[in-house]
Amino acid sequence: MSIATRPPEQAVPPRFRPSGIAVGVAITLGLIIVHWYAAVQTNTSPKELIEGWRGLWNFLFGLDKTFPNGKTIHQDGAFPLDLRWSETIRPGLEYCLLTIWIGLLGTTLSIPAALLFAIISSRTTNRFVPLWLAGRAVMSVLRAIPETVYALMFIAAVGFGAFPGVIALAIHNVAVMGKLWSESMDEVDQGPVEALRVAGASPVQTAAHAVLPAVMPSLLGLLLYRFDTNVRSSVILGTVGAGGIGFFIKTEVDSFHFDTMMTYVCMVIVLIIVIDLFSAWLRRKVGAV
Amino acid sequence: MRADHLSAAATLRVDGLRKAFGEKTVLDGLTFDVSSGEVVSLLGANGSGKSTSLRCVVGLERPDAGTIVVDGVTGKPGEAMPTVAMVFQKIHLVPRRSVLDNVCAGALGRLGLSRSWSVLAFPRELQEEAMACLDRVGLADRAREKAGRLSGGQQQRVAVARALCQRAKVLLADEPVSALDPAASEQVMNLLRSLADDDGLAVAAVLHQPDLARRFSDRILGLAGGSLVFDSPAAEVDDDTVAGLYRPALEALEAAEAARTKEFA
Repeated sequence: MSIATRPPEQAVPPRFRPSGIAVGVAITLGLIIVHWYAAVQTNTSPKELIEGWRGLWNFLFGLDKTFPNGKTIHQDGAFPLDLRWSETIRPGLEYCLLTIWIGLLGTTLSIPAALLFAIISSRTTNRFVPLWLAGRAVMSVLRAIPETVYALMFIAAVGFGAFPGVIALAIHNVAVMGKLWSESMDEVDQGPVEALRVAGASPVQTAAHAVLPAVMPSLLGLLLYRFDTNVRSSVILGTVGAGGIGFFIKTEVDSFHFDTMMTYVCMVIVLIIVIDLFSAWLRRKVGAV
Repeated sequence: MRADHLSAAATLRVDGLRKAFGEKTVLDGLTFDVSSGEVVSLLGANGSGKSTSLRCVVGLERPDAGTIVVDGVTGKPGEAMPTVAMVFQKIHLVPRRSVLDNVCAGALGRLGLSRSWSVLAFPRELQEEAMACLDRVGLADRAREKAGRLSGGQQQRVAVARALCQRAKVLLADEPVSALDPAASEQVMNLLRSLADDDGLAVAAVLHQPDLARRFSDRILGLAGGSLVFDSPAAEVDDDTVAGLYRPALEALEAAEAARTKEFA
């Protein structure tokens, strides 16, 4: 083959049109105004943070208080940590375990209802529009209420403890996991679904024999992800009285034992990292990532 | 070994089928029939309505007008008929399930939920029937393997076994060999031919290979613009007739291209 002659150069169509640039500038200006207003409303200012550094210092490293009678006492800060075994660390480990049990039960108890909601809220498995809409609406309402609010309601009903935490997590998780599951069913390959419909399969049979086998790994992956998230949430639920390590963090803060509190916080960090690694490892094992 | 239901004569009759998607008319009064023991090929350019007509027959699309009669029974628009099965270009097995479980799924239409809520509930007789269907397509030895591990040609034969397990009298095939290599295509087409010859199925296949259509079918239907252009015995369809089917589509493409070029200039 001979060397080709270069074709004549052609004008390149512009990347941006003038109207596009105007819209871009307007959106940027709008965002700046909204953020400035939000900062004013929330008293967000770097100045206050800098001026408050002494309070932060005292919280972290303690404070020497001198009373009018000349006596000086040292109030402990967060550091050094409280590392007493039988008073702090051993009970802390037990509280951490309790937190895991709350997250585990909250996740597991929500599975049947979440599966039901997922199936009626996915277009793949339910093409009866009124029921589909109802499923999505109920999940939206349940999801709009934060876990903490559920926990407060159930604490009011049954008293402080781990159990209201479990119920709060389970109810919230039905809605969140139901939505995640239904979305993953929506994305399933429609081919096998159509093939079974041709064979005369009912919607329930189609769900059981085409949709569920195809989405099972992603459902499992989402379940493990929710377990991970629910253990984190159960720490927060503890601070409003629903058991676990969070409850004891709150108690220690209230009684100015910042060193014990910080020990528990460090244990939470380790707990969350361990659960996160475990859940990621298991998700890889089931092939869901 | 073959069940008696396959020996009875079964005919598919499609009459005056119409279907439009919005403004675009895809089927414009399409009429054809397929007899028991016969293989009929549908040829035509993209958009000529071949696949849509099959999808209307099995209830995956709801036709705007027209009737579909199988073995004397008139189908309800948009609903599956137990006597009509379909295999697809993309095969559409559940890859994670075993070959046997995929074949059993063909029988879901006649199973109550108590015997079909899970593969564990499939009755033994059904599994034995499914094994017979697998044996018919030559894959009984692969029954416990995952469907996704089989080659494309083998998967398509499993899909045919699933259609047999449905006890269908009419088998529709939507581009059954378009994704397969020549050897596998040959095998699948031989199987379809044999199902018509030996088991008396009425087979209608959408094909994109005029050569395969001529070799394996009794009749060839030529479609253009959603209606029938010709309906001839396979031996009488020559290259010119086939080329004529694709010419309007080619001209339309060229005209559109020319119009766009003019617009730019």
